[in-house]
Amino acid sequence: MDVFLQQTINGLTLGAIYALIALGYTMVYGIIQLINFAHGEIFAAGGYIGVIALSFLQARGVLERHPILGLFLAFFLAMFYCAFLAVALERVAYKPLRGASRLALLLSALGMSIFFSNGMMLCQGVYDKAYPHFFTSGGFNIGGAIITNMQVFIMVGSVILMVTLNIFVNRTRLGKAMRATAQDRTMSAILGINADKTIVTTFVIGASLAAAAGVMVGLYYGSVRFDMGFIPGIKAFAAAVLGGIGNLTGAMIGGMMIGMVEIFAAGYLASEYKDVFAFIILILVLYFRPTGIMGVQVDDTRV
Amino acid sequence: MKSLRILLTTVIVCGFLIYPCLAGAKTLKIGSMSPLTGQYAADGNDIKQGVETAIAIWEKKGGVPGYDKIKYYPQDSACDGKQAVSSANKLVNLDAVGVVGAYCSSATLPASDVLNDGKVLMLTPASTNEKVTERGFQYMFRVCGRDDDQSKAAAKFLITKLNIKTIAIVDDKTTYTQGLADNLEKSLGDKVKVVAREHINQGDKDFSGILTKIKAKNPDVLYMSLYNPEGNLMAIQAKRLQLKAKLMSEDAVYHPNYLKIAKDAGEGTYFTFGQPPSKDIPEVKAFLDAYTAKYGEPGSYSSYAFDATNILLTAISKVGGDDPDKIASAIRGIKMQGASKYITFDPKGDSGSTYKVLVVKGGQFMPFWDPDSGKDL
Repeated sequence: MDVFLQQTINGLTLGAIYALIALGYTMVYGIIQLINFAHGEIFAAGGYIGVIALSFLQARGVLERHPILGLFLAFFLAMFYCAFLAVALERVAYKPLRGASRLALLLSALGMSIFFSNGMMLCQGVYDKAYPHFFTSGGFNIGGAIITNMQVFIMVGSVILMVTLNIFVNRTRLGKAMRATAQDRTMSAILGINADKTIVTTFVIGASLAAAAGVMVGLYYGSVRFDMGFIPGIKAFAAAVLGGIGNLTGAMIGGMMIGMVEIFAAGYLASEYKDVFAFIILILVLYFRPTGIMGVQVDDTRV
Repeated sequence: MKSLRILLTTVIVCGFLIYPCLAGAKTLKIGSMSPLTGQYAADGNDIKQGVETAIAIWEKKGGVPGYDKIKYYPQDSACDGKQAVSSANKLVNLDAVGVVGAYCSSATLPASDVLNDGKVLMLTPASTNEKVTERGFQYMFRVCGRDDDQSKAAAKFLITKLNIKTIAIVDDKTTYTQGLADNLEKSLGDKVKVVAREHINQGDKDFSGILTKIKAKNPDVLYMSLYNPEGNLMAIQAKRLQLKAKLMSEDAVYHPNYLKIAKDAGEGTYFTFGQPPSKDIPEVKAFLDAYTAKYGEPGSYSSYAFDATNILLTAISKVGGDDPDKIASAIRGIKMQGASKYITFDPKGDSGSTYKVLVVKGGQFMPFWDPDSGKDL
């Protein structure tokens, strides 16, 4: 029983991280029908800004005196930087292709992904960068299962971010504009919604969430590397598809499912095939529900 | 405009006049193969920098006799068989005399087929899988130790020194890690019970699933037959799950990065690695001084790559040409003190293993036990 409980906690932690990254994929897809392959690299960039900020604060001794403030600052800087990066990405690689075919846009995204990944390798080096030891140890024991502070932090942090996002999208004017643009860009533009501004907002939000996930991963696993965005990026994309691409709740459910399946496959079946099981679930769901778990059938004018 | 045209013509004419002289200059081409990108880029760049250090020292001494300069072609083999083969083909086409590499055994094996057919000498600084030198290749040499020796050393340590009853073994299904894990299982025999034998994938980050599973089996030792990036992360996560098992690992996880990333989670981990020679030996000191001045702290395989390059260049200068058969027999006759160990080759091309057990203590690798004598170090 304690093993099962422990695996559930492991799965929820991993799932929360996938869900945060998946949200960025799904939002961008919802708005401009682009699979933003560079999203994984933005996540990695967030991890790097986190390590740079935390190491700097540690060297100054700020981290010892005000750990919460230091952590908050690291998250803020990472999210701010990645938001900026995503705006630049959109301006350079996607905006000029707004009228072009979707294939051109997709290739542009792939190119930017490779560019970012290698750029990080060139400027940050090929070696793992270690996060300062901080707040990563310690935890408590519930019925034989060990929950570390970091796991609690990741789960609570992701839930807060996701709830905030839901409130933003459903309750604010800008959120309403986003939903309108996602439904029909031409019609919403006729009604006076600035499509460019809405698209940029979407990229900013998606990138901030990915950056937060990047810092969390760095804190949780203890290090970051330039190529860390690739595999989680693919998994999160699968999660977004599983949940129904374009759907926010779907991305969260999809992320949690992929995380759980992966951990349980590793724990109870064979760990070398954990990715296989994750993708089998994806295929099965898509076979019976081609639009994903929460996806809805939409006609061509909207997709 | 006219003066520009005259200038251009002069440059072209002079260029043609100088060109034959340049072509007459003899260039010694050597290559290296190691993962310069991807998750094993750290070790790969250590190897490249080791080769560069050796070449720089040779050039300072006046180069290789009979050649005007040494041209170095570092190739990215990415720890991938396919890419290693295409790098090998490229080096054969460039007429490289010798190659230092590759890092992963799974890249070295297919690449060595190509290089051996092309009569290019290959000296691997890091591939420890025994098959590398077991195929009777004339031009294949190994500067590091062998996995069958490494697993015997580890098994002897686990049985006689730690006196354990149960073990869990994790590998990542590549030629090197799986071969080593299989050898260890064989060497342990029925003295130690293998309670879990798990596999992960290269590039995985989250091991909480299998570590929870292993924790339930409660082994005395967790043996990580992995590469460095995964090993670092597994040590941290094992500590976090409060796994009681002692950690043990091998030469590919052995890297200064383990101390930096795993930090206190890595404390008490045992490693098998070729014993580094004393820093007082002049050859070792020369390497450390030259390497540290340019690249900082050497990685675990920098010194082996440095030695491999020195062996190659020494043999070429002894032979005084690029005849691969003569160079190969010259290498077989070499006896020299290197930066990694004292080097002699057996007929197969192996240079012998010097595996010792080390332990992480106070954030440093400390010599711990000698498998040959069975004594503490």
